Order: sequence, then structure tokens, then C-alpha cells
Amino acid sequence: MSVRNLRGPRAWIAFALCCVWFAFTVFPLYWVAITSLKTPPDVVGGPTYLPFVDFQPTLKAWRELFSGIRGEFYSNFWSSAIVAVSSSFFATLLGAMAAYALVRFPFRVKLLSGVLFFVLAMGGFLAGRYWLGLPPATASILSFCGALALSVFANRLALPGKVMMNDDIVFWFVSQRLFPPIVVAFALFLLYTEIGKLGFKLTDTYLGLTLAYVAFSLPIVVWLMRDFISALPLEVEEAALVDNVPYWRIFFEIVLPMCRPGLIATFVITLAFTWNEFLFALFLTNSEWQTLPVLIAGQNSQRGDEWWAISAAALVAIVPMIVVAGLLGRLMRSGLLSGAVK
Amino acid sequence: MANITLTGVTKFYEAVQVIPPMDLHIEDGEFVVLVGPSGCGKSTTLRMIAGLEAATGGQMHIGEREVTHLRPGLRNCAMVFQSYALYPHMSVRENIGYGMKVRGVPKTEARTSIENAARILNLTEYLDRKPAALSGGQRQRVAIGRAIVRDPDVFLFDEPLSNLDAKLRVEMRVEIKQLHRRLKTTMVYVTHDQVEAMTMADRVVVLRKGVIEQAADPITLYERPANAFVAEFIGAPSMNMLDGRIERSDTGLRFAGATGLAFEIPPEHTVALSRSVGEDCILGIRPEHTVEAEGGIGVNVEVVDIEPLGPYTLLIGLMGDRKFTGQTRADTKTRPGDRVPIQFDPQKLHFFRAGDGAAIREDTA
Repeated sequence: MSVRNLRGPRAWIAFALCCVWFAFTVFPLYWVAITSLKTPPDVVGGPTYLPFVDFQPTLKAWRELFSGIRGEFYSNFWSSAIVAVSSSFFATLLGAMAAYALVRFPFRVKLLSGVLFFVLAMGGFLAGRYWLGLPPATASILSFCGALALSVFANRLALPGKVMMNDDIVFWFVSQRLFPPIVVAFALFLLYTEIGKLGFKLTDTYLGLTLAYVAFSLPIVVWLMRDFISALPLEVEEAALVDNVPYWRIFFEIVLPMCRPGLIATFVITLAFTWNEFLFALFLTNSEWQTLPVLIAGQNSQRGDEWWAISAAALVAIVPMIVVAGLLGRLMRSGLLSGAVK
Repeated sequence: MANITLTGVTKFYEAVQVIPPMDLHIEDGEFVVLVGPSGCGKSTTLRMIAGLEAATGGQMHIGEREVTHLRPGLRNCAMVFQSYALYPHMSVRENIGYGMKVRGVPKTEARTSIENAARILNLTEYLDRKPAALSGGQRQRVAIGRAIVRDPDVFLFDEPLSNLDAKLRVEMRVEIKQLHRRLKTTMVYVTHDQVEAMTMADRVVVLRKGVIEQAADPITLYERPANAFVAEFIGAPSMNMLDGRIERSDTGLRFAGATGLAFEIPPEHTVALSRSVGEDCILGIRPEHTVEAEGGIGVNVEVVDIEPLGPYTLLIGLMGDRKFTGQTRADTKTRPGDRVPIQFDPQKLHFFRAGDGAAIREDTA
């Protein structure tokens, strides 16, 4: 039974409910749009709904926005755009590679070597800090690299205890999104500051923010891409293997084109996250690479609640995502695999 | 061009043995079909030759080269899959030419090869289409084209016709045979369809549970099956199997069937059967070696169904609770429910030991 089959009054009820839902979802957008066209007295003088009827629209807020008197609007817009697009691109690429490896190759990570990594990394850090007197960044980088090398080697030994397989590794990836981002944001800020002391500036840089976004987007990308890749027919890759096609070409020239809809969907989801992200941007940037969400939030405090200005800025932040979703949505259609098998 | 030799090749999945040590030699230019019921290890064997599955033990040679641990790409095999396995985002031309592009074959040379393969396979007018715009048969031809341009030592086919409809399957069967005659390359072909095996192969390898039951040319398999399994598997409809016992009689030997069937064994079988006197055995008779008639060696069956096939009609009957298939003339008046006598051709009787199913014949002594 589909809504399309309804006839008579039932059809009208369904239509009415759909209209209510439509109004419910569109109203906030409409409200932001008309508020950006209001003068300050119109905003504070009680609710008004229809331009030219309830109130006289003005472009004052928009003029102020683009003139730059309310913060470096253009600079923030471009920071947002560059960081969001590039970090989504790299996260999708790296995540797809990780997902492909996790779908096609069996991994065996011994729990004991994981514990060894943790103990060596933490112990090495503490030892470097207090016995050798190294700066925190140097101590942590050295101990983590050493611990990684040793635990990878230890994994080859016949260690007793539980062996973790691909599903465990995927869960470990995803589990990184389970704790509150503020925990990571603090730690990341401290880490970046310490690395900055070594002469490698990461706070308020393109590289710093992009790295943080890539790292924080990877879990969801791996999770999504794993499903898309495991839906691909294995024989197609086997045919290429028999034809002596190297793995990297199989991945880039066969696997990636075959899961194009999945890649685009994942890219859009990641882009939505990085474009809208506020917390990391607030912690890790201040002037040069500050992003749009931070600027919009700032409107609220600089000169009181200037809703007309906030609305204009918010619309500017919304529109690019609508455009991207509209353009890429066409490419997300399925059916690309047809003809490969059967 | 190369022969293939498997020496004691085994395959385990975890602790489960799917292929016990297997020895198989395939001659250069031979068309060998691996056939057997599902799960008999035929596809696994083929995939081990291709290198897509690692052999757990044993050695494998293609020509003079040992390939046991070589990765698939270096074995110079070309494989055609049941599901075609085409690259869906590439045109037919790109699908066929992709391997050459990867190998760095010069463009003009690649184009010549692609057009040559397309001509052989009647794909010339479809070269710029995507696989989605092709029919099943055309798709499988693209997959074969991809294999041809590889110019491999060995062609491997993994049930390539199973997804096609019956008419197309017959056509493709002929095309693959013609291809073999033209290229004279070693071909290994896996199928579960014994008709496909019989019609295409120089030599058929019948597998059961990873064990080679018999490897012989189609006519030998049909006329001189090594055991009851091969006898039942090869031939359609299947050979009828009747339990009984060999006994000594006044004039020679007689067969005493469990279902009341008893007859003097024709003299041409007595030499081989004299060793099995007093033992349980199985009598095998193919439906096409029976007629609906009284007298001679035969049984009475209760007809449960008739299958008119045009040139002749099959009688599906019951002997007690055992199914028996006989053959009769197309214009038979017999109807389900009738009780009819079926006569056997005494020249075409097969005898198998009841214990292990091995054929009892002079040549199996």
C-alpha cells in the first residue's frame, strides 16, 4: 500500500500532512531569509512574516556583510571552502583505501601487541619527559614511532591471547567517534601548541585544521565506504588480477570508478561535516584560517544579538551546501554496476 | 601454449580438506573439462591453476615453469568467469584492451588485437558500447575477447555459460569449440553440466569430493565408466541402477535382483563376473538401451509419468519403491498407471561392485 494509491478524502489528508511537514522543515529557512532583509526595529518589534506587507525589506545586513565591517567575511568564507573541500577529499580518498584493504585483505592484530603499543607509547613518553627531560612534543613523537615499530614487529611473533580481525579493526575505527569531540579538541590544541614550540606551526594553519578534519572524518568514511566496497563483485577484481594488473591500478582504475556513487555520497557527508564544523575550528584557528561557523557565532557576541546580520551570514553558509548537494546528488544515482556481472 | 601438471596438489580451508592430493596432467593444446556435482572441488581446482586460490600442498607446473606460489598475473593464464566480470565503467573496446594498456602494449598494436578479437567474436559493431547495453551472450563474448588478446598459455573457463539461456548456451558452446580449434591453446573448462562436458571436451575429468573419479574422452566415459558414480553422472537421463547378487547357475552365471528381477548373464560378461560370484552387485542400464517389449532380460514397471521428447518418449516408472526410467517409441499408447514390460539390450549391461561401486569388466580386473 503506497500513498500514491490513496483515493478520496484519505488522499487529501495525506496531502495535508505532507504540506504540514513541508512547512515545518522549510519555515526555519524562510525565517532566516526574511530576517536577513529586516531592519533592526522590525526584528525587535515583534514577529513579522511577509516582506512588503508586514515590513519593508532592506539589503542593509547584506551590504554590511559584504563590505567587511563585520569581520573578515571573504577570508573566512575561503578558509572554510578550502579546508572543507580539501579535507573531505583527502578523508574520502584515504578512507576508501582503508576500507578497501579492510574488505579485501584479512588482518590479524594480536590484542597483546595492541597493549604493548599502548604501554610502550605511554611509558616512552613519560620516560622521555622525566628521565631524559625532552620537550612534550619530542617525547610523544619519538615514543609513538618507536612503540608503533615495536608493536608491528611483535604482532609477527606467536603471542598468546585474543586475535583481532577486520571487524574489530573497523569497530576500533568507528569507536573514535563515540567520545565527545571536546576531549579531542583540547588534546589536539595542546599537541599543536607543543609541536608549534618545536618550530612547526600547526595552530591557525591550513595544514593543522585539515589534518584534524581528515583524522576526525576518517572513521565515518571507513564505515560508509566499507559497505559500498563490499557490495562490489569480487570477480571483476579477480579478472584484473589474472590479467596482471597491479593492485594500485585495480584500486584506482576499477574499484574507485565502480563505487563512484558511494564515493560521492561519502564526500558530500564529509563535506557537510567539515563545512559546518565549529569546535575544532574554534580551538585550532584564530585569525588567518578562521572558518565561517566561527564567524557566524561571533556575530552574536560582538555587538549584541544582531539577528539580521547573523541571518545573512547563516544564509551564505547554507547556500554552498545546497548547491553541492544538488550538483553531486545527480551523480549519486545507482546502477553504475550494471553490466559487470550477470 | 603449454601443458599443465598438478602433482599432489591439495587444498584446505582452515582444517577442512576440500581437495585431497590430486595428480592431473593436461597436454599442450588439450581441451579438458572438469565436471562434477556442486561442491566437488572443480572450481577450486581451476582457481588454484589461475592462482586465485593458493594450493595448500603439492606442486603445479604450467609448461616448464613451476607456478605453485606465483601470483595470478605472472602465470600467463586468461580466465573467463561465470558472471562475466566485465569492467562496468569501460566500453567494450576498453574492456578488451585494458590488460594491454596496463602491460604497455603500443596503441596501434593494441588496436589491431582488439579489432581482431572483436571480428572473431562478432563484436565489431558493439566496441563503443558499455557492458550494460549488451545482452548476456555479448557480455560473455567480451569476456572471452579479453582473454584472447592476452595471448595466454592457458585459457581457464569457470562455468562461462551457466548464466545464458539454453539456445544461447548451445551457440556459445560451438563458438568456444571453434575458438579452440583456431587457437589450439590449452583450455581448462569447468562446468556442472555433463552435456557441456561431453560435447566440448577432448578429455573429461569427473570429480567427486575433490577426487578424480575418471579422466577420459567422452565416449569412454559413456561406454566404459570406471564406477557407478561416473556411470550415473554421465548420460541424461541417468543410468538406472538395480541392486542384486551374482550367483552360479547350471549353465553359467545368473543375476538375482532384489526386486524380483532374475536372468542368465549373457556370456560376454561371465568372464569378468565370475570373480564376483556370491557378492552383492549393482546392475546398470541406461534408459536409451531399453525398449518397451516382452521377453529377454527386463523388468516390469508401473508407469508414473511419461515424457514425450519427440524422437522417443521416456517412461518414468517404479519398481517397488525404486525409480526406473525406460525408453519407448514416440507413438506409445502407454499412459501413467499402466504396468509395462521393459526389455534391456543385453550388450549394454553394466555391473558394479556394491561395496565401492567399481565397474566389473575385463579391463578393470
